[in-house]
Amino acid sequence: MGFHEQIDALIDDTQRSLALFGPELALCGTIILLLLCRLVIGDRLSSTLVAFAGTVVGLVAALFSWSQVAGTSQEAFTGMLVIDSFTIYFRIFLLAFAVLFVVFTWRSGIPDREDAADFYTLALGSLLGMCLMVAANHLLMVFMAFEMASVPSYVLAGILKGRRKSSEAALKFAVYGAGAAGIMLYGISLIAGVTGTVHLPSIGASLANTMAADPSSSVLWVLGLGGLMVMVGLAFKLSAVPFHFWAPDVFEGAAAEVGGFLSVASKAAAIALLVRVAIGFGFVQEASAWVDAEDQSVVQTTNGVDQTSIASASGETTSQIFIAARIQDGNSASGQNSQDVQTTGADHQQGTDQQDTDQQSGDQQGTDQQGADQQTELTQPDESQLSPEQQAAEAERLAEEARALGIAQRREAQEVANESLGPVRTYISYLVGFLAAITCTFGNMAAYGQSNIKRLLAYSTIAHAGYMMFAVAGAIPSIGTSTTLAQDHISALAVYVAVYLFMNFTAFAIIAFLRNQTGSEEISSYAGLIRTSPGLAVCFSLLLMSLIGLPPLAGFAAKLLVFSALADSGLWVLLIVGALNTVISLFYYLRVIKAMCLDVPEEGQQVAVFPIWKNIDGWFIFLLTLPVVVLGLFWGPLREWALAACSQLLS
Amino acid sequence: MFELTTWMVLIPALPLAAALLTAALGPRLLKNKSHLPAVLCIAASFVCASILLWQVYQQTDDDGVPGGSSRVEKRLDLWTWAAVPAAMTHSGDSATDATTAEDSSFDFVIDVTLRTDPLSAIMLVMVTFVATLVAVYSIGYMNDDPGYWRFFTYVSLFVFSMTMLVSVSNFALLYVFWEAVGVCSYLLIGFWYQKPEASAAGMKAFLVNRVGDFGFALGVFLIWTTLGTLNFHDTEVDGVITQPGVFGQQVLSDGDYSSFPLATAGVLTAICLLLFVGACGKSAQWPLHVWLPDAMEGPTPVSALIHAATMVTAGVYMVARCTPLFVASGAAPIVVACIGCLTAIMAGFIAITQTDLKRILAYSTVSQLGFMFLALGTASLAGVVAGMFHLFTHAFFKACLFLGAGSVMHAMGGVIDIRRFGGLRKLMPVTHATFLLGCLALAGVIPFAGFWSKDAVLAAVHDAAHGDPSTNALFTTLYWLAWAAALCTAFYTFRAFFQTFYGEEEIPEEAGHHAHESPSTMTIPLMLLGFLALAAGALGPWFSNFLAHTPSLSMERLRGAEHAGFHWDVAIIGTVISVVGIGAAAFMYLRSPGTVSALTDTMKAAWLYQLSYGKLFFDQLYSVFIIWPLKILAHIFYVLDMLLIDGLVNLCGWLPRVFGAVLRPMQIGLVQFYALAMVLGLLVLIGILLR
Repeated sequence: MGFHEQIDALIDDTQRSLALFGPELALCGTIILLLLCRLVIGDRLSSTLVAFAGTVVGLVAALFSWSQVAGTSQEAFTGMLVIDSFTIYFRIFLLAFAVLFVVFTWRSGIPDREDAADFYTLALGSLLGMCLMVAANHLLMVFMAFEMASVPSYVLAGILKGRRKSSEAALKFAVYGAGAAGIMLYGISLIAGVTGTVHLPSIGASLANTMAADPSSSVLWVLGLGGLMVMVGLAFKLSAVPFHFWAPDVFEGAAAEVGGFLSVASKAAAIALLVRVAIGFGFVQEASAWVDAEDQSVVQTTNGVDQTSIASASGETTSQIFIAARIQDGNSASGQNSQDVQTTGADHQQGTDQQDTDQQSGDQQGTDQQGADQQTELTQPDESQLSPEQQAAEAERLAEEARALGIAQRREAQEVANESLGPVRTYISYLVGFLAAITCTFGNMAAYGQSNIKRLLAYSTIAHAGYMMFAVAGAIPSIGTSTTLAQDHISALAVYVAVYLFMNFTAFAIIAFLRNQTGSEEISSYAGLIRTSPGLAVCFSLLLMSLIGLPPLAGFAAKLLVFSALADSGLWVLLIVGALNTVISLFYYLRVIKAMCLDVPEEGQQVAVFPIWKNIDGWFIFLLTLPVVVLGLFWGPLREWALAACSQLLS
Repeated sequence: MFELTTWMVLIPALPLAAALLTAALGPRLLKNKSHLPAVLCIAASFVCASILLWQVYQQTDDDGVPGGSSRVEKRLDLWTWAAVPAAMTHSGDSATDATTAEDSSFDFVIDVTLRTDPLSAIMLVMVTFVATLVAVYSIGYMNDDPGYWRFFTYVSLFVFSMTMLVSVSNFALLYVFWEAVGVCSYLLIGFWYQKPEASAAGMKAFLVNRVGDFGFALGVFLIWTTLGTLNFHDTEVDGVITQPGVFGQQVLSDGDYSSFPLATAGVLTAICLLLFVGACGKSAQWPLHVWLPDAMEGPTPVSALIHAATMVTAGVYMVARCTPLFVASGAAPIVVACIGCLTAIMAGFIAITQTDLKRILAYSTVSQLGFMFLALGTASLAGVVAGMFHLFTHAFFKACLFLGAGSVMHAMGGVIDIRRFGGLRKLMPVTHATFLLGCLALAGVIPFAGFWSKDAVLAAVHDAAHGDPSTNALFTTLYWLAWAAALCTAFYTFRAFFQTFYGEEEIPEEAGHHAHESPSTMTIPLMLLGFLALAAGALGPWFSNFLAHTPSLSMERLRGAEHAGFHWDVAIIGTVISVVGIGAAAFMYLRSPGTVSALTDTMKAAWLYQLSYGKLFFDQLYSVFIIWPLKILAHIFYVLDMLLIDGLVNLCGWLPRVFGAVLRPMQIGLVQFYALAMVLGLLVLIGILLR
């Protein structure tokens, strides 16, 4: 393949990838707009409004992409990112969160007019990083996204200028984050050195090869160490014990708004990334047996090692596929990513791809649907010029043949490879499970004695990170053996994250609104709330009960799914730890409810008055609490959706 | 639009709407109009239930055969609340299938499904009817109570829970609403929570019920692990049964649980007994009956609605619903019959000497519930039908009596001790007349409702005593014990009646200017209920024919024991006994009051009086054998607590402090230490890795 062809391939890949990148582009655009507005037109255009519009556009784009990606997962930007239903599910989740976050901060008024532009720039920047975390398919991307999400949040933690605690929290967060990032990078370099690749799906294959060759190879120790170090970074993001130290300080010091941001969005992205990394290490994808075909070697600098390992694993199968890939290349005169061959191996796939591309880019640019239509019309004749019917038919036939021949063998090779990865999965599962158990227990124990509601929720957040990690620990062992089972378990996590958004974020919102009235974030300041603002007290109680996991609230559904994943995987120890923790958590959540409903306010204590029907704040809380009840009663659709989200993870 | 399913949804939905509406608007907007949503919605719910009953009836009378074979059942699948597939079954085609049976892991599926069949249709009509009358009555009874809106919120919530309880088609949901009615009961018993007795009674009801509910929960767990489903109905996918239900077609056609590999007779008996423990708690059967008399601390309409007519019959309903399980178990129904009969006579005996009008009625309720369980315990179609019929008539006449007692209490300024008032018949003519109707029905005088239903119960027991030779002797004993209980019933009923309405007119000073007949919102429900106490017995034949169309009662196995005809001997004995009982009461309390004290003295000498008056000392027994040991245990723990550094409770706060001793200093400031901790944590993990 010549130089020009490679350049063409790159350009083509970038074009295709950008089309899949709509929501992120919307975020980028919003960030730039926010900065420019500040410079060019000053205060006349509210930054909040810009941020709101930008996030809504992003959310629409994300929702739109859900219907588009129905096929299989696709790699973007030469394999740096992977766009599959899992990515999109979390992307929708993150952008929906962003919209709610902007509305919430607008109401609670924490970034004052002056700070708003900076605040939203940072928050959206961090969100962009989180979107990338969710889609990361490459260890370098993992690190990049990780930093991109973290760095702005350090500043966010200190957004309350002039408050000593806030600045201190930000500094601690930054120092701690830097340490974690350093360790993670070290781990990545170890892994890259040993496996010879940083492309996540290839790591599994490479690892399988090593394992198959010598299951007790000393190289594995290095790999284990590398994995551990990567885990440190993730554990930092998840605030898993013992890498959680930053969390209570930061949550207490930072504004409740930022607390909500960190506890929901950041955690969701981190847990999704954990799933990605775990699958990357513990699973050999069908596709990865031949994904690094020649035409990609330009991009994949580390391919040499990889390819040989694969060749030995799948033998002649690969060559069969290469034929199909080449024909495909010849037809479209482009370095089409070979995964397209895998899906249908035919040109019409590409056609629809490009259509999708155009539609999406049309969407991003705003509303110019007509332009998109025109582009589509333009592409189609182009297409037919490039591939005359005969050629197309020929290609299709050949590709079909190759597929038929290859599929069985490829499956077999994949199975063998996956079997040899068993110990790796056990290792990951134990590591995650161990961290989850101590995280959960520690979080709940420490929450017990807190008198500051934000600190209490900080520990509760830590505990919930533990529950989420339980789901991952439960899913990993079955990743290579039973795809449906593993997807089922990961979907439990997806449900948990979605439910967690409503529970935790709304709880932080209530804290912020109450703080605006009384200026206090002590639990004791909530005494008598049931009398002055019954609606709010009921909502808050429902949220807390959902955080405990009492039926029929959404938290129960989420916990039920996570725990049944543990039971399915036979991780009884973790199940017992989880159940006991739920009992412990009962006490401190109920303490808050008791303070609101039973305690009598002290003489002269200011009790917040917060009508739930009379203003937007009240409606905001009410509408966000509603899903907690509704999803508790009807969680079938959410689960279906989560299952769909996970259906492409292990394809 | 006007189909069965519409009514099935509306019947519970309307009271729920009323509850939410009253809760939201009650304190500010509705205030003393808070009864409006409740009364209107519950009445509408009653109309829906009547239409539902009519439509269900339309479907039954096609064949015209008495107790015909047609099964009438309508289900409405609303949504699937939980669907967690079992690990093994859903990994699909692979070799793991073989392990499925061994692991016996079942899908955890809970369908939110409403069902209606003759059994639940009758319950729905009865519940909503009594609730409507009670709601109307409460307008008068509860007026100018500060918690007016709260009361109607709870009542609406209760009606919602109760209608759901009889509509659901799944044990998990049955449990949910079982608890929900318990909560409503708790809230309403403790309605006047400022009164220490009321809140103590609420607590007692809640705790005693907890014992029962624990058994019920275990029973539900056992059903799931044994049968693999909690649904009453079969789970169908495209017309093919994928999971047979607990009372599904398979079971009904087999007549037993042989199609479930794990369901041996022993397990089934265990299930039934555990479920019956739950029923004992809710329906106040010995030994868990102690909460019901205390529950009379609640407002009287609540006593009428929840603690006489509806909620306490939930246990009877549940056992009737589970007839296939009980029949298949063999041994469990005998336990049910024995406990029922024992409770009937015990409560009747206690009621003889009580002086609190409402408590007399409460013990009478316990006793009548015992009759119902006795009937169910015969495990025959006739028995189940008789038990349900007694439940049905009892709801009317007991509600009538309670509301009458409430009317008396209202007029007497809250005094309810029958020794402190008397001769009220002229003062309160309507209350007197309706109370008399209720008493006659309760005593079982022909042709009042209670006569027919009690007659059916005893006829069923009579049949059982001439059925299976192995249990003949037992059922014969139970038969005569039941008559003894019936004698007690007739006596204590009229004792209370005569003391209240006859003799010299006597009015306690608390009554003040209240001492007059109650307002029409209270007397009209009384009259309606009084009429039904007189006439509901006429529904008997129709009732049993209709109820026999219930799918779970139409098993072949139950059929053999059918023809619970009219037994002349039973009827004659019944009449004689009720006349003797009433006569004795009349003689002692109207003719020669001197005999009362004489007899009391004799009884006192034989310690019978003290036994009865002291309620057989169950409360004391429980205090000595359960509450005191627990308290002593608590004290031991308390001392241990003191010794073990403030004990278990503080330990929970202490563990974090232990952590804190290590962690909090770092948490306070030094970021360098955070970094060190991170490295240490990493080293620990590496250490584990290298181990």
